[in-house]
Amino acid sequence: MNNVRNDAFSVLVVDDEQEFVATLIKRLTKRGVTCEGAFTGAEAIEHIRLKDYDVLLLDMKLPDSDGKEVLREVKRLKPEIQVVILTGHISARDGLEGVGDGAYDYLMKPVEFESLLESLQFANKKKAAQDNQLGS
Amino acid sequence: MKMYTATIRDDALKVRSRESYYARQKQLFILVVVLVSVLPLLLIGWASSQYYKTSWLQQTSVDLKSSAESRKEIINRFLTDQEDMLATFVDLYSPEDLAKPSSLEEVFSAMNHSGVLVDLGVIDQRGVHLAYAGPFRRQLSDKNYLEAEWFREAMRNGRYASDIFSGYRGEPHFVVAVTDLKKTWILRATINSELFNALLASAEVGPGGDAFIINRKGELQTPGRGTTKTMIPQDELATIVSRSGTTISQHHNYLYATTWVNGNNWLLVLKTDINSSLAEFYRAWNLGILSILGASLFILVVTTLLVRSMMNRIEGADKERMLLNNRVREVEKMALVGRLAASVAHEVNNPLQIIGDQAGWINELLDEETLEQVKNYDEYRGAVQKIKLHVGRASTITHRLLGFSRSMEFKRLEIDINTLVGDTISFLENEAKNHRITVRRNLSENLPKAVSDPSQIQQVFLNILNNAIDAIGNDGSITIQTSIKQDRLCIEFADSGPGLPPEHLQKIFDPFFTTKRPDKGTGLGLSISRSIMQRLGGDILAENGKQGGCIFTVSLPAAVGAGFPLSSTPLKGKPAQG
Repeated sequence: MNNVRNDAFSVLVVDDEQEFVATLIKRLTKRGVTCEGAFTGAEAIEHIRLKDYDVLLLDMKLPDSDGKEVLREVKRLKPEIQVVILTGHISARDGLEGVGDGAYDYLMKPVEFESLLESLQFANKKKAAQDNQLGS
Repeated sequence: MKMYTATIRDDALKVRSRESYYARQKQLFILVVVLVSVLPLLLIGWASSQYYKTSWLQQTSVDLKSSAESRKEIINRFLTDQEDMLATFVDLYSPEDLAKPSSLEEVFSAMNHSGVLVDLGVIDQRGVHLAYAGPFRRQLSDKNYLEAEWFREAMRNGRYASDIFSGYRGEPHFVVAVTDLKKTWILRATINSELFNALLASAEVGPGGDAFIINRKGELQTPGRGTTKTMIPQDELATIVSRSGTTISQHHNYLYATTWVNGNNWLLVLKTDINSSLAEFYRAWNLGILSILGASLFILVVTTLLVRSMMNRIEGADKERMLLNNRVREVEKMALVGRLAASVAHEVNNPLQIIGDQAGWINELLDEETLEQVKNYDEYRGAVQKIKLHVGRASTITHRLLGFSRSMEFKRLEIDINTLVGDTISFLENEAKNHRITVRRNLSENLPKAVSDPSQIQQVFLNILNNAIDAIGNDGSITIQTSIKQDRLCIEFADSGPGLPPEHLQKIFDPFFTTKRPDKGTGLGLSISRSIMQRLGGDILAENGKQGGCIFTVSLPAAVGAGFPLSSTPLKGKPAQG
């Protein structure tokens, strides 16, 4: 199963479904991914402000704000963070806008854990590549 | 889908009841227009016929009256002439002169050039015949007229024209008698009845009419014609006698003009048959009726045609509007169903995600367990696999529902166009066979692959092929040709159908444009096909073939060389495995 390179990276999972967040953290942690959770948009922004994450997994529908706003705010604060959107509320326009606003990928619930992990890893790789470019 | 069948049935009922509504409307229109145009025609016809009939009758009675008056004058003058002539001879001669042998004969022949007189007699105041000239000498020469009415009247008045009587000679005749101033003798002449009657015969009374004279007792003085030949029927007599001056009266179908002649002793009667004098009028009347009937028929025909074409146009417009309304309603319904499905799918996706994750978590934990520790290890594994499988099934459904409202999910797979064409044809082979349509393949070998979404392209192909089958109907062929032009793959579908009118060619990709019956097509198929092809970086075109039929050309970018990443672009459609 662990066919992916075990590069450690950190993920912030933002979703108002607490059980989803809890289970995902457990499973990602098991894969060696550093993982934290947030249930609202405000909480997510707070986390981002305080700490650096490699990848942000973001639901489009949050109780206090629209996922798009969170995406824009995060990109404003820390543009290097790669954002993967995972939502049950998907539309072509949302997807295109999300990508336009700087999301790395756009996934639709329910998604298999393996696919999700793959997407997160690709996102992390992209960030690493960007970091290298910036560093060099 | 129950909802839709019900709607279609309702619409069918509506259409049927509307048809009877149009039929009723048509009849009402025709009735009203015909009534409005024919009634005045009939009224004018009737009124003018009444007017003409009345004036015709008036004219007839005026004519009859003037005819009667002119007859009166002729008769009176005739009688006066005879009396004047006799008076002249009475003045010129004495009875003694005339009593001389053959002198009266000389006078008679001098007087009677015209043959009006039958005989001539000289009678003294005792009623004795002093002389006689004429054919009845033997019967009359020794007769005494003292008691004869005409003799007494002549002796009293000096002049007298008698009624018709048989007298001594035994033949109906009348006499004119004149006395001398002292009334000592009378010169009497018998009038030739035939000549006298001829005065009436020339009266203009028309066919079926009559002219005759009656005396104060109502006895005929001249022979009439028809029913009044010898005697006047009593009821007729009652209507005509007791008048004075020239009077017009009507009895049954006859118009009478009566006037007194011969010093109020005789009544001249002119009688005309109203019907026969109206014959001319009735001929005109028949012609009038015929032309009114003709005009009415013409109006009816023209109105019927006009109303029919008008109602057909209205009906067509209504139907078109109804179809459009139905289509719009259908689309609205579909949109509503789509929205409903999408919102349900959205709500279900979150719990599905959690169920799947929990099962995955159990699966991961099971990796750490051993058969010894967990009695039903395989059962748990199996159960977890089944949960994952069925979450997958459910997600296929929710994603399909979302795809139903927004087809955003595109796969990017390597496609061999020829294989895809073959697969698509296999779906429709049976239907084509049922319609006796041959499907010919003219596929280029060694075509480059395309990178696209095969199921979406297949939907486009199916759409075009379905349209082609519908266009052909029965018996025909569809030719599918694949080729590469520059870096684009072209797939041509040529059918042997009737082709499309140029004005339709421009519209067939418009949403809701359809030439099919409303229950056969929404008019969205080609519109959706075009938007699919455009989103896949291709296009779809329609034209009429040189040998007839219609040609649809689908073009797709070919995966020439690299640069077409497979299924890992940012906009990948992970699910939709179904």
